[in-house]
Amino acid sequence: MNAGFLLVAAPATPLVLLLAGLLVPPLRRHLPDFLAQAPVPALVAAFLAMGNASVDGETLLLGMALRLDFPGAVLLGFCALLWITCGAFASTYIRGSADRERFSVFWLLTLSGNLGVFIAADIISFYLAFGLVSLPAYGLVVHDGTDRSRRAGLFYLVLAVLGETCLLLGLMLMASGADSLLISDAVGAIPSLPYRDLTLGLLVAGFGLKAGLFPLHVWLPMAHPAAPTPASAVLSGAIIKAGIIGLIKFLPLGTGLPEWSLVLTTAGLFTAYFGVLMGVTQSHPKAVLAYSSLSQMGLVITLLASGLVAAGVSAGDVGADHGADGIAQVAAFYAVHHGLAKGALFLAVGVVGATGAARIGPVLAVTAVIALGVAGLPLTGGALAKLELKGPLGGGLVETLVAWSAVGTALLMLHFLRRLRMAASADAAARPSPGLSLPWGATVLAAALVPWGLYAAAGSHDLAYAVKPGNLWALTWPILLAGILGWSLRRIRLPSVPEGDIVEPIARLLEPVRSVRLPPLPGVPSIVEAVGRAAAGIVVAAEAPVRPFPAAGLALLAVAAIMAFALAG
Amino acid sequence: MTGMLPLLILSTSLVPAVVIFFLPEAATRVRAAVNLIGALAKLPLVGLILDGVAAGEQYELRYTLVPGLDFLLRIDALSLLFLSLSAFLWLLTTLYALAYLRDGANQSRFFGFFSLCVAATTGIAMSGSLITFFLFYELLTLSTWPLVAHRGDARSIASGSHYLAYTLAGSTALLLGIVWLEGQVGPVEFAAQTGIAGADPNTLRWIFLLMVGGLGVKAALFPLHSWLPAAMVAPAPVSALLHAVAVVKAGAFGIVRVVYDVFGIGLVTDLGLGVPLAAVASFTIIYGSLRALNQSDIKRRLAYSTVSQVSYIILGTGLAGPTAMIGGLVHLIHQGLMKVTLFFCAGALAETLHIYRIQEVDGCGRRMPVTMLAFSICAVGMIGLPPVAGFVSKWYLGTGAIEAGQIWVLFVLAGSSVLNALYFLPILYRTWFRPATGTWREPLTPLPAAKVWGLVSPAVATAVASLASGLLAAAQPFSPLGWATLIVTRDYGP
Repeated sequence: MNAGFLLVAAPATPLVLLLAGLLVPPLRRHLPDFLAQAPVPALVAAFLAMGNASVDGETLLLGMALRLDFPGAVLLGFCALLWITCGAFASTYIRGSADRERFSVFWLLTLSGNLGVFIAADIISFYLAFGLVSLPAYGLVVHDGTDRSRRAGLFYLVLAVLGETCLLLGLMLMASGADSLLISDAVGAIPSLPYRDLTLGLLVAGFGLKAGLFPLHVWLPMAHPAAPTPASAVLSGAIIKAGIIGLIKFLPLGTGLPEWSLVLTTAGLFTAYFGVLMGVTQSHPKAVLAYSSLSQMGLVITLLASGLVAAGVSAGDVGADHGADGIAQVAAFYAVHHGLAKGALFLAVGVVGATGAARIGPVLAVTAVIALGVAGLPLTGGALAKLELKGPLGGGLVETLVAWSAVGTALLMLHFLRRLRMAASADAAARPSPGLSLPWGATVLAAALVPWGLYAAAGSHDLAYAVKPGNLWALTWPILLAGILGWSLRRIRLPSVPEGDIVEPIARLLEPVRSVRLPPLPGVPSIVEAVGRAAAGIVVAAEAPVRPFPAAGLALLAVAAIMAFALAG
Repeated sequence: MTGMLPLLILSTSLVPAVVIFFLPEAATRVRAAVNLIGALAKLPLVGLILDGVAAGEQYELRYTLVPGLDFLLRIDALSLLFLSLSAFLWLLTTLYALAYLRDGANQSRFFGFFSLCVAATTGIAMSGSLITFFLFYELLTLSTWPLVAHRGDARSIASGSHYLAYTLAGSTALLLGIVWLEGQVGPVEFAAQTGIAGADPNTLRWIFLLMVGGLGVKAALFPLHSWLPAAMVAPAPVSALLHAVAVVKAGAFGIVRVVYDVFGIGLVTDLGLGVPLAAVASFTIIYGSLRALNQSDIKRRLAYSTVSQVSYIILGTGLAGPTAMIGGLVHLIHQGLMKVTLFFCAGALAETLHIYRIQEVDGCGRRMPVTMLAFSICAVGMIGLPPVAGFVSKWYLGTGAIEAGQIWVLFVLAGSSVLNALYFLPILYRTWFRPATGTWREPLTPLPAAKVWGLVSPAVATAVASLASGLLAAAQPFSPLGWATLIVTRDYGP
């Protein structure tokens, strides 16, 4: 198959399905059945279209360009995979919902945008895809229409609109420095822009918001759990990666911007620890997972920040291929494992909810392996991701802090498993329908196997490195320590922090402001108004004789004609 | 032939107007036929000229009224921007109005003046000199009034008077400006400026203020805008005419002509008038959006939105850099397409379900999915999100502002985007996510299918056009963006 065609088909297929559904009402009812098929072309594209394909739609938007580089292909492939399994899960999950057609519409829109961000090579197409993955996701968050999800949706939408706006300004500033709208050209021009710091600040705000960077994260722990489970899975697994690919594509990695490196490292590490701290206070398993997601994305952002330390090199082993491309590659690898694992964990919440207490043993056991994998349990995909992460960070404080964050992650995952056990179905003998358990199983398999395949194909070390005793120990001690800590602290009652943590205090602070009712804005200054009224009075008086309008129309034409003749004469 | 085409185009609207005035009220079919034949005949003629002008052809008709006073029709690329918009929307608005006013009273008067308005707009677009422009501009002012007051109740008459008071005052200012200017430098034709720069700079500044102030009434520049929200009592097709096809566009188009073809960009910049104009436009953008937020009546909210959005055109004109100019010009088309859709939809809601206020749209997405989808597309476009047309305007205005060194404009655009989201997204939320709670009522007898089609299909057509203008923005030269680029690079390039 033509590789260029695949690049177009990947984001276009969901839209074509959507359009067909809108135009053909009988098809609309079956839209929810096609959620799993829509991402298939993207999966194919990830394998067949990488590197060599490019599409230039010169008449589209402001000149559309589609490319697929290595990090993009890796992320595209895994996202497609996750959207397929979650789509299958969703088809079953929403079967009873009255609004399932609406859900499908927003699902397909979001999907198209999510796939598009990895392929778009010009600024405008990227912004379009980013908008598509951001705003329609609102429809997924508020799907069940409860007060909780509507509140979460409101916060989500407000911040998403602000993020979009920041991003647009950043992109405009960035585009003004380059001759073309290709992202690669425009990024190269960033370091020499007159408004460099403003531009970078706006871009980081736009993308950081999506990736849950503190303090722009508040929507995330509210919105991810509020959505229906399959939507939570793609939100936390795949959609959040739109922020990461944005940073990968738009940060001038490999350029020396040490102050920005410091800012991003600090924010990333703070987010990583903050996510753990807030996560362990949560009681809803999906909220625990959401906090874990932003914590993990904090680590990825820390990694990306190491690409800005100095020109051409990263903080880590300079000799290895840890230049800008190397860092992007490692970030993509880490994101792939996190996405698949997080998807599997979210779906597990749905599966456990449909499983009786008597039957949840195997589900819990499998979930435990995946969950601890996120903390780097040896031989899991997560272990490979942690090993890859180490290289570019180099020694020093940052690497130590990243290593210790695994203790926090392990603690958070243990907390998740405990809360998950309590979420079992009230009916002790209930068993989940295959429509739920099979997609979940497929996601688990993908989370276990895909990282190994990727490591073997493109990892920076060989397989022996992954099982070196030193490395195994480096991966194991955080989990052991977390286990001991968790066991000894099990009786301590933590305060319960509401989802969205700092939102509540801020909202309380703003409460007096909110209750102030702004007086309606004044209209035109009153003098103008008065003059207008006086003039209007005269006109009203004058118009009375010509009220019969058809006569007025003819009279008007006649006067015009007479004037014309008079002037001509 | 090149001289006859402008006249032919003018007559496609003028002849139906005259014929319709003479038709008896009961001749519904004949009236519709005359109107549609005119509108349909106009499109191929405009297409022909588009093609000709793209190839570098000139179309000019000059008729000396008295020595030194020429009636001059001249079609350049800028004329066509406005001409093609009004021709396309005239056809759709006519179809819509035929359905909307079905069985209404005073149809001969309505459609007669409607065609007359479009004829005046056509004349404005094709005017080649200030005097010709003024003649048609006045014809537009007067022939719009009976439409604003069409319903004939006290509110309509009051808003009609409001409209006349404002626009006649504006015309007076404009006329004063024209007379003063021509007194200094002789008759002024567009696109042939030589003598103006020699005049006294302060005199020129006063003249500029008079002319832009006069034109600013129709363009609804703050503080001259208040007639526009008041005029929303008129039927929806009239709103479409006011907001998209003719009236506010005539004001904005006039300002573009004054800046580009009467003074010239260089002189406007030298006189230090560009940035203040951009500042007034920026203030109007934010002010209109803030006022829109306060409105609970759908059409009033849309009206304030127009106050805000039309100033994008003037903002781009004032910034005077090539990219910003493109952004402003292209918004003339984009705003027209999007806003006409929104008013079509608002009218369809009112006619079908008696929905007038924002609180009443709860759950109507299920009842009128096609209409509300069209509405949603254009609302998203107004916010400035791709791939709808509004994004293209915003992108060019933003990057153009950076190019012109006016970075503060970015924050005006950002503020406007956020405010647009604040006043459009709640409507979409109510439409698609709130359950229907009996805030609207079904008609006692179902509307005839022909009426439903007439109300919905024009909205679909303009929504599709809004989407296509954004999606295919880079298609040279016949996309709105392509044409705006052609205007700026060919006629006003550095």
